[in-house]
Amino acid sequence: MPSSNLVGNRERQFVVVIGFSLTLYLTDITWEVRANSRHFHKHRRRRSFLCFRWGRYADNVVRSFKYSPLTFLPLTLYEQFQRAANLYFLLMVVMQCVPAISSIPWYTTTIPLVIVLSVRGLKDLANDLVRSLTHPPITRLSPSLSSLTNWRGFTNVNSLFFLSIPTPFSLCLPFYLSPSFLLLFAPHPTPSLPLSLPLSGIVLCEEPNSRLYTFRGELHWRGERHPLDSEHILLRGTVLRNTDTAFGMAIYTGSDSKILRNVGQLRVKRTQIEKVLNKVVIGVMLFLLLMALLLAVGSGVFQGRVSSQIEVLSALTRGNSPIYTAFLTYWSYVILLSPAMPMSLYITFEMIHVLHSLFIGWDVEMRGGVERSIPAQARNTSLNEELGQVGHLLSDKTGTLTQNRLLFRQCCIAGNVYGKDELPSLCPTSASPQTLDLSWNPFSCGGLYLSDQRLVDKLRGQQCTQSRQFLTTLALCHTVMTEWRNGEGAPVYQAASPDEEALVGAARELGWVFLSRTRDSLTVSELGVKRHYQLLTLLDFTSQRRRMSVLGKTDGGLKLYCKGADIVILERLQKDCPHLESTERALDLFAQSCLRTLCIAERTVSEAKWEEWSKTMAQAAMTTRNHDDMLEQLHDDMERDLKLLGVTAIEDRLQDGVPETISLLRQAGLKVWVLTGDKKETAVNIGYACRLLDPDTRLLEGDELRQLLQSPDPEITFSKGKGTELWCVDRERAGEKSALVLTGPELVNIHYRSKDLENLLIQEPEWGARFMSLAGLCQSVLCCRVTPGQKADVVTLVRKNTASITMAIGDGANDVNMIKTAHIGVGLAGVEGGQAVQNADYALAKFSFLQRLLLVHGRWSYRRIAVFLRYFLYKTCSFALVHIWFGFFNGFSAQSLYENWFIILYTVFYTAMPVECLGIFEQDVSAECSLSWPELYKVGQRQELFNTWLLAATLLHALYTSLVLFFMPLGVFYNSALDYQTMAVTVSIASLFSATIEIILLTRHWTKWSVAAMCVSFGLFFKSPVDYYFPGVSQNAFPSPVVWFTALLTAWTAVLPSFTIRTLNIILTNPDRHRHGPVELQKSGFRRGDSHRRSSYAMSQGRGIGRLITSGASRRITFPPVDRRGTLGDNVTLAGQTQSDDAPKNITENGSSK
Amino acid sequence: MAPSYNAKEEDGHQPGATGHGGAGTMTNKKPDNTAFKQQRLPAWQPILTAGTVLPAFFVIGLIFIPIGFILIVYGLTLLIDYTGVDMSSPCYNCSQSYSWNNTQSCTCSVHFSLDQPFESNVFMYYGLSNFYQNHRRYVKSRDDSQLNGDKTSLQYHICTLNRCSKECEPYRSSDKPIAPCGAIANSLFNDTLELYYIDPNGSRTAIPLVKKGIAWWTDKHVKFRNPSGNNNLTVVFQGTSKPVNWRKPVFELDPLDSDNNGFINEDFIVWMRTAALPTFRKLYCIIQKKPNNMTPTLPRGEYILEVTYNYPVRSFDGRKRMILSTISWMGGKNPFLGIAYITVGSVCFCLGLVLLSIHYRYGKRNNSAEISS
Repeated sequence: MPSSNLVGNRERQFVVVIGFSLTLYLTDITWEVRANSRHFHKHRRRRSFLCFRWGRYADNVVRSFKYSPLTFLPLTLYEQFQRAANLYFLLMVVMQCVPAISSIPWYTTTIPLVIVLSVRGLKDLANDLVRSLTHPPITRLSPSLSSLTNWRGFTNVNSLFFLSIPTPFSLCLPFYLSPSFLLLFAPHPTPSLPLSLPLSGIVLCEEPNSRLYTFRGELHWRGERHPLDSEHILLRGTVLRNTDTAFGMAIYTGSDSKILRNVGQLRVKRTQIEKVLNKVVIGVMLFLLLMALLLAVGSGVFQGRVSSQIEVLSALTRGNSPIYTAFLTYWSYVILLSPAMPMSLYITFEMIHVLHSLFIGWDVEMRGGVERSIPAQARNTSLNEELGQVGHLLSDKTGTLTQNRLLFRQCCIAGNVYGKDELPSLCPTSASPQTLDLSWNPFSCGGLYLSDQRLVDKLRGQQCTQSRQFLTTLALCHTVMTEWRNGEGAPVYQAASPDEEALVGAARELGWVFLSRTRDSLTVSELGVKRHYQLLTLLDFTSQRRRMSVLGKTDGGLKLYCKGADIVILERLQKDCPHLESTERALDLFAQSCLRTLCIAERTVSEAKWEEWSKTMAQAAMTTRNHDDMLEQLHDDMERDLKLLGVTAIEDRLQDGVPETISLLRQAGLKVWVLTGDKKETAVNIGYACRLLDPDTRLLEGDELRQLLQSPDPEITFSKGKGTELWCVDRERAGEKSALVLTGPELVNIHYRSKDLENLLIQEPEWGARFMSLAGLCQSVLCCRVTPGQKADVVTLVRKNTASITMAIGDGANDVNMIKTAHIGVGLAGVEGGQAVQNADYALAKFSFLQRLLLVHGRWSYRRIAVFLRYFLYKTCSFALVHIWFGFFNGFSAQSLYENWFIILYTVFYTAMPVECLGIFEQDVSAECSLSWPELYKVGQRQELFNTWLLAATLLHALYTSLVLFFMPLGVFYNSALDYQTMAVTVSIASLFSATIEIILLTRHWTKWSVAAMCVSFGLFFKSPVDYYFPGVSQNAFPSPVVWFTALLTAWTAVLPSFTIRTLNIILTNPDRHRHGPVELQKSGFRRGDSHRRSSYAMSQGRGIGRLITSGASRRITFPPVDRRGTLGDNVTLAGQTQSDDAPKNITENGSSK
Repeated sequence: MAPSYNAKEEDGHQPGATGHGGAGTMTNKKPDNTAFKQQRLPAWQPILTAGTVLPAFFVIGLIFIPIGFILIVYGLTLLIDYTGVDMSSPCYNCSQSYSWNNTQSCTCSVHFSLDQPFESNVFMYYGLSNFYQNHRRYVKSRDDSQLNGDKTSLQYHICTLNRCSKECEPYRSSDKPIAPCGAIANSLFNDTLELYYIDPNGSRTAIPLVKKGIAWWTDKHVKFRNPSGNNNLTVVFQGTSKPVNWRKPVFELDPLDSDNNGFINEDFIVWMRTAALPTFRKLYCIIQKKPNNMTPTLPRGEYILEVTYNYPVRSFDGRKRMILSTISWMGGKNPFLGIAYITVGSVCFCLGLVLLSIHYRYGKRNNSAEISS
């Protein structure tokens, strides 16, 4: 059913009550919402005019645009003048309008300022138009139901709701954007609410805020107060399942809703380059102000000592005291030197950023999805250069590294291995695995990735009981629920973990079709024969138990069906279990192929035993003391003497190109960390599969890690400890070959009961630093069982303790924290809603595009922007600082050495285009070479192209150039007949020459545009008259050879140092060696894992939903069409049970087994 | 330079690059897959090696050094300081007695001899030092529209709202508007220099000094114009007063040539073209070469420079000079530029040598290591 229909259907039944009022009730619970009093509080709706707002409640329209024709100008100006730089330049303009201090006329700053403001304003306007034309991104939050459309649900595009009546059952399952179940309960009074409308009531709650997971409020209804918390509210974009009708009340609407408050705030991120740049800009500013001060003092002294002797000059300054003159001169010099920090720097910087972002979007090799329809997207356009500096990549696992698609790949039954032994990485697109003929099975609907005719023959031939038992176990031992849709021949399975779905699905394909479940029964069609199993008890999966069992009863008696991690199951087997050895061999085999394994076992239980056990169970439920221990004991008692049936092997499908990408990134010097909510085994398994860990990597975990951290200097202990081991040759290698595995909760239990390890690391800086220094030695860190919040904390930890740039990549809502915290957040588009993408700086379709994003685009961006900024500072400073030296020869009078228009045009036209081309087109090596020489990326990580020292060197070079630019012509023009204007032109030409030679030396990638830009810039200078204010100068100065000889010599002398250093660099390091073309990488063959490595238990996430299922209280259960009649009564009783609105959390195992 | 033309469109599909190539198939599908958008514009990527860069140092050094020598060798210059600071110098008396307000002319003659004959056209300059003609306030103190013949800037007495520029302050007007106004004009250099050749037989021959053609053509014809309307400058400048320091009004600057009066007087124009630096020289006149070309323009021998000493420089410790110079194709003799060229050229050459030795010492090992790896 298309989701739009869903919306339509449901909204008719859904009563949305919008009405607002405000009373001050509590200090923080001040937000009042009244049901059905729309007219009464209408006037409190928020309205706005221009940038003024009044009123309290936002209406329910989410505007994604902010400008209107009327508000554009004031708003954009207001926004732009919040930037310090723009204000500074505005100040300059104002100062230049004061005639007494105006050393250069007002338009030299005004024109660029107007250009800058209008360019940026137009850019904002264009962005705004695009945003308002396309769908507002928020509406895209409506979840993707594609995989789970059988769930009854509706999309709530309205806002945040307080769900008042879910009916007919008290329990609904709102489906958040990640596949985890959240239960939603209506507050107590509501189930008995009459459906007669309108309702009346008041909700008092918190002011609108961005905290998604907390809510505090009260419902006042019929004179009673009912507390409300986050369990009672639905967020915008939530899908409600398992109910047809619900009554609710809008609490926050429109821009007040929590999601919008949360989403809209993209933190302003500043790149490391920007920070350095800002520091340097401030430094240069201070330098300029200081120079202006010194020159002003000079001018005061000059007036007092020198110009008083010269009648001509003293007449000009008559009446002004030297101090007053100095004061005026100070401001004149501030103006005159201001072109050293041109505003075009910032605007050009921004434009280049935008273009780089566009390049990322345009790159066809980063398009993903069907037909390559999803381009990569740079949502934040100002972080590009940081992509070239990433030192730590923190990745989510599920959905990012893996496809979150589990495939039943192989199995071993009674010692026989079925299914081809394929390496997962070798066949990434096994799209048509269905070579088996399953047409005999009416329920088959494809999706079996195990193809082995022998198994089918065995199953159908009724020969092998063990294989039949194996499949029976698969079909029974799970918490999957079914839904039957009209017209479909097979049930659709809904599973809490994808592992179970894969297993049950595989069983279905092979003929053991799980049809339906009720609270205490399971219906399975075994090769067409329908059988009912009475579900006696379900011992659910927990992370401690690492197994689950189902006790079922058929005609043949009671049987316990069990599946679990190999370690757990193997130690519970009966003695002399057959096929043990061959099964263990199979386990090793599967582990080598990086498959996730589960052991399948069964046990025949006698009726008497069951009677006794269930009695004990009932007693245990009554006791409160040692409740958990007793339960554990009981479970243990039941799950023993198992008979091993076989092993399943599930492939946790890696995304395409993940191993290649990770190994490439590792070569590029990135530390790849994996942060996952999964268990350690799963994470480690994936770590091996995606080449994050090498087969011989030593894992540091648990006690060992803790001891290392406890030692005062982990690095030393680390290397010492390593030295004793044989395989460790030297310390360097030891570091490369180990990885830290951080499993927070485990460590907590061992030593730090109060705090888990990550909190410890984060809260105590000493520990964090130790951990990071240790992590710096290791090749990777795996953090397992971490919450979304902890993910962000780990990012913070890295950010705090290292200087390196962190990048977080994830695909789901649980990665949002991490993505927001990291320097750069990357969201994978497509699979899991849009939350990650909404909060990310970059959106990619696939993890493997990361290599292009980082190694190609990032590296280029970093180089381009670093070179661009350095050159820009060089050319403007060298150009403007000349005035300082000239001051010594014109009586510190703030006389300009350039023609007025030249000052404007120099930065805007004469030297801008070549450097813009450099910022856009420069490639030191081609994309292919970048990928085949990943170590080139380390330049960015080490900040080799843009750091304070390099900038200081650049500025020194600029200072030197300005000295040369002035003193070389000074020597020529001193005591000569050449006039001031000729000298101005000479210095202009010289500075233009030196800037151009410098950019020629810098440009290493000459496209036609670069050449054209160079020619046009030069042409502009010589074609357009130089003499706007100097009429006739071009005709008289250009033919003069002295001007040219001087300019050439000056320019060459100015660039000589940088040319020499460049040559030295070429001689010593041969930086162009990578340009000769990509080299075929030595493909280090993917070695298989060592046999000692066991694969992990294939169950994801924490506690299962077994209780919920067996409680039966909550489920709207659908049945196969034929069975509907027979189970109707059951359904009714279920409905009756819901009257007790007890939260299923409180339902005990005991209760469920009754 | 060893250029390598890297047309990237051709080698775009490297097999070893990435696992998910296929830009080729996309080229047809996506209309926006241009070389620009894919950053695959054909480009020239020079591969720089020691072999391509090092010769630049030697080449540039070898070009610069000869240029320097040429610049030094060509041209002759003679400089006579006639300020009269020393008691012994002939102009001492004049310099002591003179100030702006003096109306009495003071003349002095300076003897000098030429060791070498000056061929071709000889340019005669006057030079001033410590005179801050590039001071911002001084430079601003002129009215270009007035000098360009704008009548309105000659005629008003009262500052109207739109016309009162502060350009000429404080030499805008006394009681009548000043023409030409401003500090630059007011401080016009007004020494008169005359040159006599003393024949071996003792008789003095005046050397003809041509005052025409010393200003830029564009200045004389575009930038500076007399107010139009009347050929009689006296009438045109009626109602204006001469600058404070001037002895005679602007329309009587050149008594000999009536076309050289008013704002287009060439001496005036030259003066108005302000100098770049506090020590400067300005073209005073040209001594044209003899038509028969047999004798040099200024043969070697004794000369007398007759100075009508009007311009006071003593107060600011300035110097006044007379300079004679010949001009070659690259302008006047410029020893500094020549020396600078030789210096920079030699530095370049030496740097080349140093880098070459570094290259042989360290570079080779480095490169071979790279290649073998």
